[in-house]
Order: sequence, then C-alpha cells, then structure tokens
Amino acid sequence: MRPITIALTKGRLARKTLELFRSIGIDPAGADDPDTRKLIFENEELGLRFFLAKGPDVPTYVHYGAADIGIVGRDTIIEEGKKLYEVLDLGYGRCRMCVCGPESARKYLENGEMIRVATKYPNITRDYFMNKKHQTVEIIKLNGSIELAPIVGLAELIVDIVETGSTLKENGLKVLEEVLPLSARVVVNQVSMKMENERISDLIRRMKEAL
Amino acid sequence: MANRAIHTPDGFRDLYGESCMAKRELMDRVREVFGRYAYENIETPTVEFFDVFSSDIGTTPSRELYKFFDRDGNTLVLRPDFTPSVARAAAMHFPDERFPARLSYEGSTFVNSAELQGRLKEQTQMGIELLGDASPEADAEVIAMTAEILLAAGISRFQVSVGEVDFFKALADASGLSGEEIGSLRALISSKNFFGVEELLGGFAVESRLKEAFVRLPNLFGGPEVLDEAAAFAAAPREKAALERLFAISRILEARGLSRYVSYDFGMLSKFNYYTGIIFSAYTYGTGEPVAKGGRYDNLLGHFGKEEPAVGFGVYIDQLMSALSRQGLRKGKEAEL
Repeated sequence: MRPITIALTKGRLARKTLELFRSIGIDPAGADDPDTRKLIFENEELGLRFFLAKGPDVPTYVHYGAADIGIVGRDTIIEEGKKLYEVLDLGYGRCRMCVCGPESARKYLENGEMIRVATKYPNITRDYFMNKKHQTVEIIKLNGSIELAPIVGLAELIVDIVETGSTLKENGLKVLEEVLPLSARVVVNQVSMKMENERISDLIRRMKEAL
Repeated sequence: MANRAIHTPDGFRDLYGESCMAKRELMDRVREVFGRYAYENIETPTVEFFDVFSSDIGTTPSRELYKFFDRDGNTLVLRPDFTPSVARAAAMHFPDERFPARLSYEGSTFVNSAELQGRLKEQTQMGIELLGDASPEADAEVIAMTAEILLAAGISRFQVSVGEVDFFKALADASGLSGEEIGSLRALISSKNFFGVEELLGGFAVESRLKEAFVRLPNLFGGPEVLDEAAAFAAAPREKAALERLFAISRILEARGLSRYVSYDFGMLSKFNYYTGIIFSAYTYGTGEPVAKGGRYDNLLGHFGKEEPAVGFGVYIDQLMSALSRQGLRKGKEAEL
C-alpha cells in the first residue's frame, strides 16, 4: 500500500493535531516525541507517514504532492496562494490577522495617505490595502518581531497575527483594524484527492467527527 | 555570478541523450493515438497578438504571459496555451463545410510563472481540438482519447476526472449573485472548501435549494454514483441538461470499457473562463498536478467570428515524463531542471 504522507506545521499546530490523531486511534509513530531527531515518522500498519515542516513550506510540499495532506494555518494558505484543496477547518489555532500600530497612527488609515507597513505577510497586506481599502502603501517584509517596526520608526503600521494582544500592549500598540479571522486548516493535494479518494476522505471524516 | 553565456534562464532547459530520446519516443506514442482517431495536424505561430489571450477570452492571467512589442507598438505574447490559437486559426481559415474538423497540435507553451517553483516555464504540449460537434459523443471521444494516451504511455494507474461547468453556471445564474460574488464562490468550490462556501453564502439572500446545492458541490466527486446523487437535487432544466450530458458520456465510456479510469467531480471548475460544458483533468501518481486537461468551449470560436461548438484537450508532456520516471516506468532519470 502506498503510504499517505501528512505534513504538519512545526509547533503548537503539530502538537494539537497529533493529539487529535491519537484521539481517533492513529499512532503518529513517535512524531510527538519532543526529543527526537528523526525527520519522518511512519506508521506502516495504517499506511501513514508524518513529517514536520515550517509553516510556509507546508503548502509547497502539498502542492507538489510530496505530502498528500497538510495541516497549516489559514494565513499561510492565503499568503502562499497555492492551488490546494482546503477541506477542513480544525477550529484550533484560532487568531486574527490585524492592522496594528500606536493609537496615534490611526489617522493614516482614515485619510488614505501613502504609508509604510511592515509585515511577514506581504501578499495578504497588499490585497487588503489595494482591494479592500484602496490605499497605496509601501510594504516592508520582515521575518519576525514585527512589533518593533513602528517603535523604531521603520514603518507607521504593521499587519500581523494577533492572538491575545499582550505583546502589542506591552509595546504600546493596539489593534486598529481586523483583516481576517484565522484557524488551522487541513489541505489536500488535488491529485492525491482523486487517486486516494477513499482513504483520504475517510481520514478527514474521522478527524471531523473527533473535533 | 553565473556565466550567462553557458547557462539557461530559470525554467528553461536543455534536453539531450537518453532523456531527449525517451521524450521523443513518448511523443510518438501520443501521435499514434491522434492518428488512430484521424486528427490532422495544424501549426500555429509561437507568437500571437495579446488579444488572442486577453482576459475576455479568459485564459492565462496577463501577468503570467511573456509579452513584448512589435515595431508598430502592438503587444505580442508567446502562446501560453494552444486552444485559443487553434480556435482563431480555424475560425479564420475554415469555410463552414470544413466542420466538423479534427485538429491536432504539438509544440512549446510559455508561462511566466513565479520564480523558484521548480516548474518549467517552457513546456511541451500535445493536444487535439474537435471543432463543430456539440454532441456528448464528441465529449466522450476526447475523454476516451485522453485515457488511451495515458495507457499508450505505459501508465495504468490514473484517473480522468470529469466535471461540468454549466451545472455550476446554471446554479450561479439562478442565484442572483454578482459576478464578483460568483468568482469567490467558484474559488471556494474548486478548492473543495465547503465550510468557506457555507460562510460566504450565510451572508447572502440566496434561495435555500441553491444554497444547499452549492454546499454539496465541493464534496460531490467519485464514481458514476455521484451522478445519481446530483440527479436527486437537480431541478431546473439547464441543471438537468448538464447532468444528462454526463450520464450520456458515462454510458459511452462504460460501453468502451474505460469507466474504471473515469470519475466525476462537480466541484471541478476552471479558472479558464472559456469552458462552457464538460471539463476534465487526468491525474496519476508521481506528479502533484494534472498530466492532461481539457474541456468544451462552445463560445470561443465565436470570439473569432465563427459560431462553432468545440471540445479538446492538451497533454503536458513534461509532466507526463516526470510521472513516468517517478513511477519507475522509465529506465533513465529525468534531466535536472
């Protein structure tokens, strides 16, 4: 039997998802062992393979069929813009993509000025400002600690994921507008969905019932 | 800095030796199937006016086209796809009595896709167009040819997935949604995102029968039994006509002993706007994308001044080659990109 390969986003999404698999009787073959140095985990009996990858790489693995199924945040799916089947909302990992900044920066959103926006998500940011707000902005791509940008004067505003808002608060920033609600999703390669319809649909149905 | 004098640009490659021979041999096999059905050859130019591939015809997005200017300032493109070119040529050159026409083509197509995606920007495509025949028999003929080509290539485990865009369009037109709303709905349905469909429709005043149908479309795929499932909720004449065509095609393919290679998918909707009836994609192991795609496009020739129905498909030879080598059906290894 050809194994079905599942790519998980490293970190909390993977932990939650592996718990979900355990709860429906699927043993992830050691993928949830925090000390392991292995990269890929195979449950031969069930014909399943698991591996962990960085979020933005998960849609890439699934798009090319290197993984049949991926578990990834909606932000990453939209940002990467790959053609994938998005078949299940897992409901956890819930948070929001927001425009944030100091209260004093709110005026920039109201008078449509040319401003600089720092973000890890240039595509989502461009789409929001161009198509929804019809505002021209200069996007500055950063790779982490986005909150720093308005404080040190790199950008007027930021677009980032907000969970509890405590990092924002500690740095004198607040949510000014909401861009998108987010949560973890199950994505499937289009070829795998057709070639392995029964096994994949069955797995997804069981995950859905356990939610 | 790479020496530009000896390297090829990203997405373009040299092919030689064993790989080149294997590709030629595969192309011979495909040609043999075209010949079996008496398709005659057609050649169209590599370069066309931008208008042939413009957005009202609904093909490759403009930013993915290789564009340049001629001396008079006209915008020219390298063809991203053969179908509009062949439709244009047939509309221009063929008198009415030349239809139905069976035409086959082969050559390079060029799509300027994003960098570093491991994807070729110049790809060899071979395909056919059956012009001037609106019957379900014509649809079944081209689907059967797709299956026979994959068999001739030596692949035994594959699926040709068949959808009907007019089934969706009938529902969409009845819903009273705006063009933009239908666009988002189409994107959600074709990514099988039924919870997204539910969420989107939640905000609109759409008849409940249609809402239910839209939510079911993403999950309506599989063997011929899904046709019966769709029959249970198809109500308007246009929906029934679209469905009846799929039933007719399924009967013909069954009679030809090909039904185990064919499945149906009501959630398959193309971003190529020119499709008007059935659409299909062929899938196999070893490649994350379809190895062949096709469909019916009854209005496309009309854009070029000739009202003729048409159906056709193209095989992506390079994708098929990599599927063959990854399935271990070829001795050599695919040349590196």
